[in-house]
Amino acid sequence: MPISFASALISAFYFREMKDILTPRERFGLLVIDEKPDRCNIIPLITSHSAKVKGVKLKDYYTNGEIMARAQIAAIEEYGHDAISIFSEVGIIAEAMGSEFFYPEDDLPVLKSPILAQTNIDNINIPNPEKDKRLPVYLEAVEYAYQALGDKVPILAYVPAPFTTGMMLSDPNKFLIQTIKEPEYIKKVLEKSSQAAIEFCYHIIDAGGLPILVDPLASSSVISPKTYKEFALPYESAVIDFLHRYDLDVILHICGNTTPILDLLPETDADLISIDQVDLKTVLEKLSKRIRIIGNFDTSKLLFFSKENIANEVKNMVKLGMSAPKGYIASTGCEVPTHAPKENVKAFIKAAKEVGWYWD
Amino acid sequence: MFENLAPKKIDLKEWSRQFRSLDTDFINKFFYYKNNDWGRYLFPPAIFMVYGARQLKHLKLDNSLASLRVWGFSFNESERLFRAKQSGKKVIATMGDLGTVPIIVMAFPDCIPFYPDCTWWTPFFNESNVLLDRASEMGVPEASCFVRSALAAFDKKAYFPKPDLLFASTGASCDDYSCIMQMVGNLGYDIIWLEMPFRRHTAKYFVGDKYKTTNQGLEYPERFEDYLVTEYKKVWAKMVELTGINDLELLRENIKKTNRLRRLVENIKNLTYEVEIVPFPALEMMVIEFGNLYGYADFDEWLDICEMVYETIKERTRKGIGVLKPDAIPIAWVMPTADPILLNLVEDLGGRVVATEYVINQALAQIEEQGDPFNALARSFLNASLIGSTEERVRRITEKVEQGRVRGVIITNMLGASHCSMETRLIEKMLSKVPVLSLDVPSPLGITEQLKTRIAAFMETLR
Repeated sequence: MPISFASALISAFYFREMKDILTPRERFGLLVIDEKPDRCNIIPLITSHSAKVKGVKLKDYYTNGEIMARAQIAAIEEYGHDAISIFSEVGIIAEAMGSEFFYPEDDLPVLKSPILAQTNIDNINIPNPEKDKRLPVYLEAVEYAYQALGDKVPILAYVPAPFTTGMMLSDPNKFLIQTIKEPEYIKKVLEKSSQAAIEFCYHIIDAGGLPILVDPLASSSVISPKTYKEFALPYESAVIDFLHRYDLDVILHICGNTTPILDLLPETDADLISIDQVDLKTVLEKLSKRIRIIGNFDTSKLLFFSKENIANEVKNMVKLGMSAPKGYIASTGCEVPTHAPKENVKAFIKAAKEVGWYWD
Repeated sequence: MFENLAPKKIDLKEWSRQFRSLDTDFINKFFYYKNNDWGRYLFPPAIFMVYGARQLKHLKLDNSLASLRVWGFSFNESERLFRAKQSGKKVIATMGDLGTVPIIVMAFPDCIPFYPDCTWWTPFFNESNVLLDRASEMGVPEASCFVRSALAAFDKKAYFPKPDLLFASTGASCDDYSCIMQMVGNLGYDIIWLEMPFRRHTAKYFVGDKYKTTNQGLEYPERFEDYLVTEYKKVWAKMVELTGINDLELLRENIKKTNRLRRLVENIKNLTYEVEIVPFPALEMMVIEFGNLYGYADFDEWLDICEMVYETIKERTRKGIGVLKPDAIPIAWVMPTADPILLNLVEDLGGRVVATEYVINQALAQIEEQGDPFNALARSFLNASLIGSTEERVRRITEKVEQGRVRGVIITNMLGASHCSMETRLIEKMLSKVPVLSLDVPSPLGITEQLKTRIAAFMETLR
């Protein structure tokens, strides 16, 4: 489909919404300057699920930038949420640094051979995002989506944070043991992973995307708060510092249970925190005066709950989230499952739109 | 910073590379409203592209630090206005008069003037029809001037905060804009209307009229000055009511500051347009010229930026270096370009801009610093391009043509702008001694190969 046609379709979609006054771009723009938009931003983490919406194989989605972008556009047309999410899985930087991944025909890549099992971190180069492995696929997707509808919709590009990339460079279990036995070596790995993430962010910005930092393996479901503080947080901060040089508002997403590290999260200096399996009320109490909050509908419910139950729970979540003084984005706690029924995702968005209004 | 780089126009990616070499401490030196917590603005064009200014991906911009400040500051304006309001400043919409009411507003501490009408640039910089389409939905059809973007911006409340006061000029102002502002009034905004008199010769009908002459040599009936004074006093009274401050000395001081910027910009223009090798690109020059209207909502910082621009230009001139080849063909530009990319395009095709008539001549004129400040403002405003005859408007261009300093003229004709459709042919006729190319500026992303070919052929003719 030609880009201009896609753009026209998006226009038609947004102006069909009776109540929406702003485009997603305008809505997000107000959020990040501490203004209340017409309604809260609704950005469920619709990533690889978009391939199913478009009807393309996952392998095509994560190996072809144009297909990835077109799938994302198809999802926006289907659901009318508020951002494009360029992402497939967290191994992309590690892969570009040398780890090998297996590409199933219709599933996400799986770590096959971590590079640090074969060589030392000193022998690994910072990847070139324009050339190495699938990083150019992401950049192509960002550029395509930006060209198609970047005037109306923000283009979010997910960047694996250094800790997560570090684990993908290594055998994950060995990596965690090394944080205890060889902490200085692991810090060298994380330093290089930070440089790689920064280089990737730099190219994403030039392509028109807003980098958002994802660190699923830094979850308290995986590591202790002590390990988080020493091995994840400083490197998240390094990437965020880089992005703050550009005055970009940085989203940090950490999956799973992050309750034990809630007090540490402001130290990352992230502007928006995306949370998963955490009590939203607790998050609001602890963080919402300083940081904008994103979250956190349980994604398993998108698979197994009825539309009615989803709608009820989403409404309660959004009403609570909107009390956040610095701002709130209605979202899922993690990625929308690839095979989540479309009707359930629609129920989520419809419910959020019904109750998410700031303006009279 | 960047002093050692040869001057040239660079694309967005090259600007990003240059920006990476800057220390964070250096970036943090530049901020607006004297607030270094949230007022930073020195960022590469890519950042504003990420937030929606898509045309930046296609423009080539000057590679100096001064240029980086110009772009960072001007693109930051929308956020700046919201931050102004959040920090307790009064945000005042000053529409249509183009240059004088902001001087009165700025005389009041913590009052920030801005021009909602300037959102007419937004569709072009964003390569987007979002605002234009919204205006169409609101009943202003496609066949209207691009200023209809302002109506949509008021409706959406996402481009500037709700103003504390709205002044709008009518009378000898742009018809389309006046119509749009009436519709803004219908949205529930309280508008304080000011009427601008047309600078006409009335002797035939009003025998008693006495005439005076502006400092740019334009005649006007004396009673028009008196009339404008009453209008400006109306603005003053509203501002006093809003702020509780009534100190004419502040206005006198602000007039001096305004004159300082106007002199500076006049110097920048004269130097850039007259030296052999063009030291600064036409697009940046247009942004600078429009900055005279209100300093992009932080007059002091804008003044500082313009001083840096002037130093950069002087240094380049001293070294005999610049951004275009020495044989670039001198042209004059009449009317704002609407689509900024046209200025890039003409330079790429071998032209250089040496004279402009962007309908904001009044914002370049000096204001008397002695005597009654309202009379001084009125006399200065009576130089305005928009309130006089077409012949007066193009007089400066005609003079340059006669001096042999302009080899061709480009007129950018806004489709739907009522005065354009009437004036363009008149201007063409008055400038018959040089080739004239009048372009109908299409909607965003509407620059076709055919249009480019017309410009290329015109430049070839001049060569």
